[in-house]
Amino acid sequence: MAQSKSVAVRNLYNSFAAKLLGYIHEVVQDKQVAEQYLQAVFNDVPNEIEELSKTGVNALCRLQVMARQKLADFFETFDNETDRRAWQNMSWVNNKHIALMTPLQQQVFLGVYYQCKTTSHIAKELNNSEEQIRKTLKECFTIIRNERNNERVH
Amino acid sequence: MKEYIDSGILEVFVMGAATDEEVRELMYMKAKYPEVDEALKQLETDMERIAGNMAIAPPPGIWDKIENEIDDLIRRDTYTAQPVKFRTDHGHNGYERSVPPDQFISIESESNHMRLHKSWRWVFAAVFVLGKIFLGFAIYFYLENRQTQQQLQELKTEIRELKKK
Repeated sequence: MAQSKSVAVRNLYNSFAAKLLGYIHEVVQDKQVAEQYLQAVFNDVPNEIEELSKTGVNALCRLQVMARQKLADFFETFDNETDRRAWQNMSWVNNKHIALMTPLQQQVFLGVYYQCKTTSHIAKELNNSEEQIRKTLKECFTIIRNERNNERVH
Repeated sequence: MKEYIDSGILEVFVMGAATDEEVRELMYMKAKYPEVDEALKQLETDMERIAGNMAIAPPPGIWDKIENEIDDLIRRDTYTAQPVKFRTDHGHNGYERSVPPDQFISIESESNHMRLHKSWRWVFAAVFVLGKIFLGFAIYFYLENRQTQQQLQELKTEIRELKKK
């Protein structure tokens, strides 16, 4: 039983560790810290293995949610608003998808995708309706999808 | 249905930001309407693409650490997830980690196993080698001492015989 659990975790690691490490690194911008978070996420995988193995569950999305929950603590370590703003400005220059988004779309996408914020939280922050924030989030995915389709054409 | 898909709920769901009620509703819609299922699958593919673009291969040692931890957790079988907190020092490329309570060895722990840092193996190896050397010396000096005692005994016997003569 223990052996099969270990094998299942290993399979998930082989399939998704690189993608998850890349995602975490985008957030923390530090190789060592990113690796520690990756380890922390996979240490919790045995507890979630049944959920992750269910039919219809996208394992990568689920692992990203687990990573986001852990990364919520990372954002708590920011000492002040300056740290927070520095983080928001530093890491997205090289991300081609995010570069194509409007400032509002970037705020929404970064908030949900990287900072684990709910849409209602962002709506409050930006003094906007939650409905509008959700539509903006959808637009972000449309941009990413269009970009992908363009890449295919070229 | 289009309105439901266009509302952005699917995007919120794949990012894990949907409420429990929204998740239940979405599961129902997904099961009932194939177009919702299809849209969700497409979104998950998008998420995989985004993640694929930023993928970084983890260094080889990471899996060993995870495997050790998992094996240990399975052995202990009393595992409860602890919150972890890592952070950068903002530009110095270092990190700090708050130590979760379960990293200490509990003296009254039910487990019979104790975890040690790998660097201790060199200490144990050195103690083992030194032990062997001392054992070798002890045997050598014991044998030599025994031989000397025998020689001394022989000499004493010879002296006694000479005195008799």
